[in-house]
Amino acid sequence: MAYLIFSISLLLIYMGLAQLLHVQFGMLGIPNFGVVGFWGFGMYGVAVFNVQFGWPFLFALVITCLLVAILAYGLGMLILRLEGQAILCATLAFSAIVTLLVITEKWLTFGVVGLGTIQYPVRIGAATEIIYFMLLLLIIGSFQLAINKLHQSRLGRLTIAIRDNEELAASLGKDTFKTKLILFTLTSCLMGMLGGLSAPLNQFLTPNMLVPGVTFAVWIALVLGGKENTFGAMLGVFITFGLFDILVETYLPVSPEYAVMVPNFKLFLYGAVLVAVLVYRPAGILNNRQAHTRWPNADLS
Amino acid sequence: MLNVTRLSSGYGEVNVLNDITFSVGNEIFAVLGANGAGKSTLLKTLAKLIPVTQGHIEWQGRDITRAPAYSLPAQGVAYVPQEHNVFSDLSVAENLSVGALTGSRTRDEKLDEIYELFPRLADRKDQFAGSLSGGEGQMLAVSRALMQDPSIILLDEPSAGLSPLFVDTLFEKISEIRQQKSVTIVLAEQNATKTMEIADRLLVLSLGEVHLLKPVKELDMKQLMEAYHI
Ligand SMILES: Nc1ncnc2c1ncn2[C@@H]1O[C@H](COP(=O)(O)OP(=O)(O)OP(=O)(O)O)[C@@H](O)[C@H]1O
Ligand SMILES: [Mg+2]
Repeated sequence: MAYLIFSISLLLIYMGLAQLLHVQFGMLGIPNFGVVGFWGFGMYGVAVFNVQFGWPFLFALVITCLLVAILAYGLGMLILRLEGQAILCATLAFSAIVTLLVITEKWLTFGVVGLGTIQYPVRIGAATEIIYFMLLLLIIGSFQLAINKLHQSRLGRLTIAIRDNEELAASLGKDTFKTKLILFTLTSCLMGMLGGLSAPLNQFLTPNMLVPGVTFAVWIALVLGGKENTFGAMLGVFITFGLFDILVETYLPVSPEYAVMVPNFKLFLYGAVLVAVLVYRPAGILNNRQAHTRWPNADLS
Repeated sequence: MLNVTRLSSGYGEVNVLNDITFSVGNEIFAVLGANGAGKSTLLKTLAKLIPVTQGHIEWQGRDITRAPAYSLPAQGVAYVPQEHNVFSDLSVAENLSVGALTGSRTRDEKLDEIYELFPRLADRKDQFAGSLSGGEGQMLAVSRALMQDPSIILLDEPSAGLSPLFVDTLFEKISEIRQQKSVTIVLAEQNATKTMEIADRLLVLSLGEVHLLKPVKELDMKQLMEAYHI
């Protein structure tokens, strides 16, 4: 039971990451391949402040979020004027640096030995995990409401215009760089917050939690669900993380001799599902509209 | 009044425009030239989408040589690119709303006027702009510029890819807009004959330099032909 709550709490965290990536890529067109970097920085930040410095959890979380925001702002200043591929590489490199620092800066993180134990902010006996789960549910729910609001707002329309044709949006009087920078900073900071909130879930942190696989799982979820709406991304998380990581890896009875194959089999299945979706539902599982052609003025008549 | 003095610009290392000087008053000012002469580059430079390497641009007495592109609409400058000139993932109505914040009239007032000018857009207002025909896309792009209530429109080859019949209609609309609103129009065009029917003055570019700058009435056809034969 405890393990189930742990699993679905983590599932919620991944859903949150997918929602935030939906804003970054689905709405603004920023290909952030460093999701695990922001998330991992948040997780380790809270752990270091909490365990090493003895700061209260909430205070550690707030300071960590501020740090992630500053980091995202700086990174955004450097990369958001660049082309898509360059942003992709830069964010991927950023996350690799975060992982590397966690491994090498042993005085802070204990490196590969691992860092723990991170306690829940408040302990209410056996109900702690469930209450924490409810809290996460509340957070993911409010993300969803906020994103829905964003979609219907003038700002949401602007993000789609920027994704579509940034130069044109600029010539219509929009400071596109500033818009991207602000939203990128905010959403990356929230990724860090989700990381911080994952720290007590995991209790004991090791650098091998900060693998690119986290980023890929969220990305695949986004592609599966379709970049047009967040429900799609959340459904995608159910398929990638929920189905594979939780169900297959932990609940499916596999004999020990095949157990080593499971992680690879998971990646294989990710790939297979991805290809199937791209072929049959190019705009995502929930989207039966054809993937939108990017040829302006395409004469379809 | 738009004053351009000794302007040079290009793309990174590649210099395209050299030492261009002209000014535009309240008129239809046409920019002609063969393919690759630099018409689009000139308009993009004026719209501040590519940096000026040398020279100055002055608009209504203000130096805008270093102004960012997004600051121009508030100063009454609208730009319609030659291609990729609509947001294909937004509907026709949404396209018209982006950038409709300048000017004193309300958005709905302006929308009514646009739908009257181009009834076809009214019929398609909820359709994705990416699925419009070429001509409808041009109408939308021009209309979106009008939504800004501009004092000057930089219009890059609106006739590209349109049927001759449609070009006629579009040019009629352009002179209609010009007369109704007394907005200045800088019109880059391939189609010299059509353009000369509505333009007041001509700038002919050739390999990125000014080949000819004259009122249409005083034009010597031979000079114009030369520019296209290089
Ligand atoms: N993004 C770019 N990078 C480098 N060179 C470019 C770029 N865009 C255009 N050029 C070059 O600049 C020159 C002028 O191009 P421009 O688009 O201004 O011509 P144009 O007069 O508008 O032609 P057309 O009538 O075909 O539209 C051409 O030689 C072109 O190859
Ligand atoms: Mg051109």
